[in-house]
Amino acid sequence: MKPTASVRRTSARHLLTVGLVASLALVSACTKSEDDSAKGSTASPQDGAGQVVSSPSTGSGPTCALDAYGGGKLDLKKATVGFSQSEKEANPFRIAETASLKAEAAKRGVKLLTANAQSQFSKQISDVQDLIAKGADLLVIAPLNSDGWEPVLRAASAKHIPIVTIDRKINATACKDYVSFIGSDFVEQGRRAADRMIEATGGKGEVAILLGAAGNNVTTERTKGFEERIKEKAPDLKIVFRQTGDFAREKGQSVTENLIQSKPGITGIYAENDEMGLGAVNALKGAGKKPGAVKIVTIDGTRNAVQGIVDGWIQGVVESNPRFGPLAFQTLDTFTRGEKVSQDIVIEDSAYTEKNAAADLGKAY
Amino acid sequence: MLSVTGLGKSFPGVRALSDVDLTVRAGTVHALVGENGAGKSTLIKVLTGVYRPDAGEVVYDGAPVSFATPLAAQRAGISTIYQEVNLVPLMSVARNLCLGREPRGRLGLIDFRRMHREAAEALERLGLRVDVRRPLRELGVGAQQMVALARAVAVDARVVVMDEPTSSLEPREVATLFRVIRMLRDQGVAVVYVSHRMDELYEICDEVTVLRDGRVVHTGPLAGLDRLRLVSLMLGREIGEVRAEGLTKFSGGHDAESEPVLRATDLTIRHKLRGVSLAVRPGEVVGLGGLLGSGRSETAKAIAGALPTDAGRVAVAGAPVRPGSTAAAIRAGISLLPEDRKAEGIVPGLSVRENIALAALPALSRFGLVDDARIDRIVDTFVKRLRIKTAGPHQRVGELSGGNQQKVLLARWLALHPKVLLLDEPTRGIDVGAKAEVQALIDELADDGLAVLLISSDTEELIEGSDRVVVLKEGVVVSELTGAAVTEDALMRAIAAVPAGGPDD
Amino acid sequence: MTELTFARPSLDRARLLRLLQDYGVYAGVLVLLLFDVAFTPHFLSVENFRTQAVQVAPVLVVALGMALAIGAEGVDLSVGSVMALSTSLISLYLGYGPWIAVLVALAGGIVVGAANGALIAFVGVQPIVATLALMVAGRGVALVLLPQLKDVRDPDMAALGSGAVLGVPYLVLIAAGLALLTAFVMRRTTFGRQVLAIGDSRPAARLAGLPVGRVLVVVYVSCGALAAIAGVLATARLSASDPTSLGTLMELSAITAVVVGGTPLSGGRVRVGGTVAGAVLIQLLTTTLIKHDLPPSWTQIAQAAVIVLAVYAARERGRR
Repeated sequence: MKPTASVRRTSARHLLTVGLVASLALVSACTKSEDDSAKGSTASPQDGAGQVVSSPSTGSGPTCALDAYGGGKLDLKKATVGFSQSEKEANPFRIAETASLKAEAAKRGVKLLTANAQSQFSKQISDVQDLIAKGADLLVIAPLNSDGWEPVLRAASAKHIPIVTIDRKINATACKDYVSFIGSDFVEQGRRAADRMIEATGGKGEVAILLGAAGNNVTTERTKGFEERIKEKAPDLKIVFRQTGDFAREKGQSVTENLIQSKPGITGIYAENDEMGLGAVNALKGAGKKPGAVKIVTIDGTRNAVQGIVDGWIQGVVESNPRFGPLAFQTLDTFTRGEKVSQDIVIEDSAYTEKNAAADLGKAY
Repeated sequence: MLSVTGLGKSFPGVRALSDVDLTVRAGTVHALVGENGAGKSTLIKVLTGVYRPDAGEVVYDGAPVSFATPLAAQRAGISTIYQEVNLVPLMSVARNLCLGREPRGRLGLIDFRRMHREAAEALERLGLRVDVRRPLRELGVGAQQMVALARAVAVDARVVVMDEPTSSLEPREVATLFRVIRMLRDQGVAVVYVSHRMDELYEICDEVTVLRDGRVVHTGPLAGLDRLRLVSLMLGREIGEVRAEGLTKFSGGHDAESEPVLRATDLTIRHKLRGVSLAVRPGEVVGLGGLLGSGRSETAKAIAGALPTDAGRVAVAGAPVRPGSTAAAIRAGISLLPEDRKAEGIVPGLSVRENIALAALPALSRFGLVDDARIDRIVDTFVKRLRIKTAGPHQRVGELSGGNQQKVLLARWLALHPKVLLLDEPTRGIDVGAKAEVQALIDELADDGLAVLLISSDTEELIEGSDRVVVLKEGVVVSELTGAAVTEDALMRAIAAVPAGGPDD
Repeated sequence: MTELTFARPSLDRARLLRLLQDYGVYAGVLVLLLFDVAFTPHFLSVENFRTQAVQVAPVLVVALGMALAIGAEGVDLSVGSVMALSTSLISLYLGYGPWIAVLVALAGGIVVGAANGALIAFVGVQPIVATLALMVAGRGVALVLLPQLKDVRDPDMAALGSGAVLGVPYLVLIAAGLALLTAFVMRRTTFGRQVLAIGDSRPAARLAGLPVGRVLVVVYVSCGALAAIAGVLATARLSASDPTSLGTLMELSAITAVVVGGTPLSGGRVRVGGTVAGAVLIQLLTTTLIKHDLPPSWTQIAQAAVIVLAVYAARERGRR
């Protein structure tokens, strides 16, 4: 009796395991998403227009040159560049950032090694060490954290490898531990969003802010720039509502739903990223509002948001430019030729309005 | 060495010890025996500083003492070895041995080399050769028990209390343990030895104290004490005592002619049962006798599929039952009223009604939907028939008295129309009135043709309730009493008998 | 037994606590409603109540499954990940049509539930550990399948998200239907009673011959399926699949709703009505604070206060 019993029980268990494995296999095998037929037609962001530098490489501010940093000249064309990405390419920003670097490397014919830390800082450190070991002569790093870079910097400076960090700064000495930082000015983005909002509303009325995730420097800086500019230029525009949407569409939608019911007279909504702005659009649609009834200004410049302008739901998108490729390589090129480069380079963000949205949709990432 | 006088200890509602005197002399092994609830563990806990006595005093080494904590008792030289080893399984053997008093080097760091050497020596003295750097859990239970013993000895213990140290040991390990105990005794250590195993007591102990219901009923040298006499002291029954019939509500005498409906053969569970076989006929009440720990409850649970067996078969009305599955046993018509009513029997948060209907639910529902009308009828029938005193069928079972809880459980099983009913201590912890009712009910059920297996620590109940008594001892059937032989006398003789092959057969 | 002596003087307090646990959540909802009617502008409108009902629907559906798991003396931490998995699957299979996509999403939830149930019932892993493993794995698989947010433009999904019958949104109808179904299952079926018996005393249930393993698997499968449905509803409402953020911290919201609703964490009892009220209470609380534009940290503090109150009431019951 006993063997049959155990056979029955184990077979039940086997069946379950087999079922689990089979279903997993099934899941990954024959998917067919809504727009499979259109796959590949979505333009890759690499065709994005080149980059304009608002503070040019030999402009004001401290600069850096080879003799100060150490190391010798080299020809970028024959060099190997290592790129360490911080987060998984799971959001448009990271996808566009990596793609831009790859595209620029291909354009210039430079050999590019890439690594992705998947949001784990320890992995990023070992990634960079790997890149150095694999023979990278130059490094572009999109840091996950600002601190904890000493071991890598030491290894790099021992070999006189120039480092450019993009989109986030690291806490170290410029022109000693690294060459330059290329990034966005989030406060400026907030100010420009405020300008768009003032323009769209005529400088009068009540606006709401959908804040980003709490305790994030992007949130604080984008809020600061916006509020300062509104106060300064349009005292009649009152900020009556500030709630977090956690940078997520779903949260932006549910907060906006509550907002438009308790404050039906709201004139404008400033969303600190595109996703929350798109959530707000969803909420307005659901409440039966007409496009343009409530002015929406967002920051980032993803394709969906720019499409929102074309459709009339969004009045302005301030771009947070992810295309660091051209600027990063330009900086490295200038530097390795022995010329001076700026230690802090602010990437210029473009903007989308009703005027250019339809035409520039292809530029959005 | 250690003595207590006039010791008393009460817990709310229970008087655990009253006026207990005990004297343990240096260089002797003192047996402490008694049935469940006699007060052994309370007494040990008072001796080792876990409890403070309400009355009386403890005299240790000639001076009255009062230990605030077990640690204080340990420091004074009283060590305890519990049934379950209380060491740290993940630490090495040596660290366990030296826990809390590791040899220190110059910087106050642990001197590992010295510790390992000392530990190895200590174990070697007990005849145990193991790598002291291995984690403790890699050793067998017996070896772990030895480490605990070595630890107790290493702290210069002058009194060692052992609470059923052999319950999970192999015979070979028992032999080693006894060698160590004798060694300790020869060194002048006083050993308090608690066990239910008669043969062990006679092999190792010099003196004995028998506790019953919190009182000392006997104390003196063991050698002169007859086994039968010891059993009768423990159970509180006199040999050959003539008593009036009908103290219990059993009428006695059921049909003993027909084919057995339950047949269990060669049930074996490591350390617990060794080849137990028994059969119960319809309408017959078979008692399962034996001391605590003799394997009574294990036998019942094994039959009901609630304990996995290593070997053995169970058949109901000739058809084999799949072992290790309560559901299969229940389908075959076996119902078990478990010993631990509160933990394993009732579902305290559910109502009387749900508890009664629980096991029979599949039969009382159609397409998975419960047929409330039928449940109400059945619950109503049983509440009346078993005279369950409840505020209503929706009262939570946890709120009922013990006796009524037991009746609810009986109702749960009777609603299934079982063929075999296994009753493990059906009247324990319930008041006298309810007890009589439950006993009468058992009788009635057997009259209705049910096969009943009855387990009871109450000898009187067992003898009067059973048509036959199967006596278990250390997991083996040692005797079967039938007909006129079903007497307390015979039962006690069977329990006390010296096994033919000696203790290590 | 020592508690016997203290029982009499604290009887009234005990009764009060019992009342608080049984009806506190309804009282809380009522108080908040009254407050909102009095102090929140534009609160009393059909549109507002529709919004609140739509927003609470996914949380409520997840909480129903959670109530089952907690009733069986377990917990399911993987519900948020199942929602993410469900939204990924919908997006990936929408090419076959919305029905197929929804069925695949449901199947995903059932598979995760079966894995949870098998680990708990047959392997004997603690529910919190088993479902934690699936929580991590589920989110991982969801992100592998669909690494980033993707719009859902299917008209049927859009209709599910924003359509209504006689003014009642589909989402609300579905959630209400599932709540009624769960209540019916718990009250009227063998399965419901077996869940409670197992949650109250597993050894007793086993000895009573209940199919403990099977019931536990069904409990976790139901929980996974409900979470998958919640994922479908959330996807429809958002008209996008967002596996990166959908369902994050959902397990905590669901546990909160269940506990606040008076279902004890020690199992043996499932209060479907209380769970519904618990979800509504948390929703109203969040909404009220948002509508009054109070800082988000206040919402968290208020939620914490409600949980502490609920757990305090439950603790008294557990000790009895």
